[in-house]
Amino acid sequence: MLKRMELSGGKVVPNGDNGNIHVYVNPDETERKYLVEKLELDEHTLASALDPDELARLEFEPNHTALIFKRPRNYSSEDMFVFKIASVGLFLFENRLIVVLSEDIPLFQGKQFARITSLQEVALKIIYSSIAHFNEHLRVINAVSDALEDQINASMENKYLLSLFSLEKSLVYYLNGIGSNGKLIERVKNSAVKLKLTTESIEFVDDMIIENQQCYEQASTYSNILASMMDARVSIVSNNLNWLIKTLTIITIAIMLPTLVVSVFSMNVEIPLEDHPYAFWVILAMALSTTYVVRLVWRWKKW
Amino acid sequence: MAMEEMVNNTATRMITVLNPAGLHARPSLAVAQTVRRSKSKVEVRAGQQTVDASDILQLLSMGVPCGAELEFEATGPDAEEVLDSLAGMFANRFGLFDGHVG
Repeated sequence: MLKRMELSGGKVVPNGDNGNIHVYVNPDETERKYLVEKLELDEHTLASALDPDELARLEFEPNHTALIFKRPRNYSSEDMFVFKIASVGLFLFENRLIVVLSEDIPLFQGKQFARITSLQEVALKIIYSSIAHFNEHLRVINAVSDALEDQINASMENKYLLSLFSLEKSLVYYLNGIGSNGKLIERVKNSAVKLKLTTESIEFVDDMIIENQQCYEQASTYSNILASMMDARVSIVSNNLNWLIKTLTIITIAIMLPTLVVSVFSMNVEIPLEDHPYAFWVILAMALSTTYVVRLVWRWKKW
Repeated sequence: MAMEEMVNNTATRMITVLNPAGLHARPSLAVAQTVRRSKSKVEVRAGQQTVDASDILQLLSMGVPCGAELEFEATGPDAEEVLDSLAGMFANRFGLFDGHVG
């Protein structure tokens, strides 16, 4: 799917006919062919823009510059607490910007897209919005992690622990993506002249480097906390299970002893109290007293 | 008596999800945080599902798409206020039309 936009009045606005910003969402075969053959995009770089496993990078081609960067993927309830990342490709020409991405997302809305003067700025702000998106997802991951901890403390089910593992895995993806974006932004700064960045744009890139570094450190902190606390949480689950087994064992013993007493007096041989008029009540009292003895021992041993 | 009536105040509100990606990660966090800050218990119904709106795990598991109608039911002293806050957040799409969703 192709959407054409243009820069007008400092904003990116839709222009169905002559827009010089082309957004390709999951391009089909015909669109890919057009991009490779007419616009001379490298086929591998184009595929990288749609491949979630590709690393962020900057490549200079004869007629354009390709920037591949990472962004968080939209979370779906089917992801089961795995927060994934996707790639986005920006192909910056002299008078045209091609954006290639796998999901349809509103790219150009918000404060940061209010005063834009060049295609280079559009490209930088798209990358910047990805850093903000990572930051927000990290907050969500932290909240989900807290909620899962509460559930783990109160439950013995593996599903919460597995969800925590999923979060840990997500943070590894995020660290990888954010780190990779960091290297791309550094390269953008080093290639400022080649990319024809203005002084303001270079200052903006400096801000991006700081934001991205803070985002990386936050992800790293969450990841370390999650990893280091995982063993403790596994122990808590195991301990909860031990408590349950212990309680069940005590209940079993408390039921087993009266059964033993009654069984002994049920043997089809001559037994004491056989002819006693209150034999039933005496045996019942003996059976119940064993349960009381179990209770006394339980309290004495402080089980 | 008046105090008891205030504590047991119940309010319901139908709210439509306007975000293109539905009730996804960040809106779920915003809803859970808003409900936790309030003094009311809030439940949200989508079709046959009813979940505790203060629990981000349950909200994320709902998988509510764009355009879905959610029924919020709040019980507590600030039931109306919390529903007003939630309705406002949904109406302005959680301020998420800033270049990204999800």
